[in-house]
Amino acid sequence: MEEYDVVVVGAGPGGSMAAFTAAGLGLETVFLERGRKPGDKNSSGCGLGQRWWRDFPEIMGELPGLPSYRKVEMVVINLVDEDNRLRMRSGTTGSDLDATRWPHGMEGASVYRSCLDPFLAKRATDEGAELRTATLASDVIMDDGRVAGIVTDAGERIGAKVVIAADGAMSTMARASGMRNRWGAGCTLVPQLDFGCDEGKLDDVIGNAEWCWFGPFYGAYQVNFREGFHLGAGQWLRRDWDTRPVDMLKRVMAIPAFQAMTRAVDARPREYQAHLLPWMEKPAKSFSAGLMLVGDAAGFPCPLEGEGVWHACTSGRIAAETAAYAIRKGDFSERTLSEYERRWRASSLGLEHEFGREFVELWDNSAFDPEKMGRQIQLLLELSMLNPFSICFDWGDAHMECLNMHLSHFLDMLPEFGEFGGRYIKPFARGISPGNVRRMLCMMKPRLPALRRLSDERYLWLLARFSRSLRPYLEGREGE
Amino acid sequence: MEEMKIDLKKLVKRVGETGEFITCDESRCDGCGRCADACSMGLWAVSGGKARLSPRYTELCLECAACWEICEREAVDFHYPRGGTGVVIEYG
Repeated sequence: MEEYDVVVVGAGPGGSMAAFTAAGLGLETVFLERGRKPGDKNSSGCGLGQRWWRDFPEIMGELPGLPSYRKVEMVVINLVDEDNRLRMRSGTTGSDLDATRWPHGMEGASVYRSCLDPFLAKRATDEGAELRTATLASDVIMDDGRVAGIVTDAGERIGAKVVIAADGAMSTMARASGMRNRWGAGCTLVPQLDFGCDEGKLDDVIGNAEWCWFGPFYGAYQVNFREGFHLGAGQWLRRDWDTRPVDMLKRVMAIPAFQAMTRAVDARPREYQAHLLPWMEKPAKSFSAGLMLVGDAAGFPCPLEGEGVWHACTSGRIAAETAAYAIRKGDFSERTLSEYERRWRASSLGLEHEFGREFVELWDNSAFDPEKMGRQIQLLLELSMLNPFSICFDWGDAHMECLNMHLSHFLDMLPEFGEFGGRYIKPFARGISPGNVRRMLCMMKPRLPALRRLSDERYLWLLARFSRSLRPYLEGREGE
Repeated sequence: MEEMKIDLKKLVKRVGETGEFITCDESRCDGCGRCADACSMGLWAVSGGKARLSPRYTELCLECAACWEICEREAVDFHYPRGGTGVVIEYG
């Protein structure tokens, strides 16, 4: 039986980053890909955001050389009413403030996984890791209660001091080792349609932007690449749907403004994909004796946006560093590998999940709930009449007349705001735990010149004196 | 306006002989039909109170594993097809 220091299962971004890091630390490393080449089996929205510049600048610097790369500097939201009419199109982009927070401002990147995954795998092989393609790891080798290698579907046995499983949402390694079976809750299904289109026309019509489509019954993303785009929408599998996930895409394709956009860029449907995406309040258990799970296999994707490639790369790097630590110690027990969880919890990946429950609640109360989404879209469309972020609102008639008209409409709507807030906004706050309310308030403290010198305890005491609605959270009792 | 007509089945590429990779344990299945709701290729249907998988699934399945994840009775067993076979995603 062949023996390696580390066997990595899966050559997606998490697996390749783990293999790259392990090889760079001098470990004998092999990584396995079930497709004929990395990326063959993978689909995702695949927008790479600002923090990539902080954590993986050497990768971001190379992406413009990949064939499907498109720079992203803006997010555009399209709001559609129940009659499928486009009612609001609003874009946000970076400010000078963002430039002080991120080395490249709000610049991100879109790139197909069929480009990104082979590129990341090549970095790992250049670093000395061995890649085996068309190789499915279908079982684990157990030795004295610990995972000590894998078995391929061809029956080949490969021994390892540590196995790193980067094998996706339906992690074969997690199942085979007995760590878990199905997720049970918190897993979404994401159908995704790829359109090919004319590169120059996409530049003219959309430019360097990601788009979203929100209507009364769905939220969908449109990620734009050099000469194509993805239209995708997710839904939690725990729900009893009134809309099947694939039908949500068909609703977007029925929007005349979407169809107009596809004609303007000469878009044609090119490929259909579907994948599971864990969208969890908390990640799953990520280690056992001899085994660490990274990326989707551990349930790491962002609980607010469902983004997962950065999370896979970040956890893959930490898993490989932990493998090196365990090998130096000569100890692959669960206790030693618990170092993996300690390290990812202390990283920005761990911080991401501290508000996991609140982020998931937010979606559960909006885009993923058709009734609430319908009400919110309606209210946003009413508000959009005011064009609050623009001075270009309707001045068409005598100016004071117009202003008074808008003002009286606004005043007429006030009772509705109150009713809406009580019924739809308040439940959001109810989902926030008292501990996290305190944490959020303490995070605001440094921005408040008059209060920032106070101790946390004194500051929270003061807030409790001034705000009746915050008091129950700050005095340790549940809200309401 | 003319709605965009799309035949999803024509938008999937695949290679090789996958062999069997999904099974349904009829003794566990209670015919709830959630697998049929989740499958965007329409490969599951309920008849006679049990879920039935299309015999052509190896030619049509997207390998998303939603039928396995959604089955509360754990009647559906899903494993990835043999290495180097099955769906090929070119624009993922």
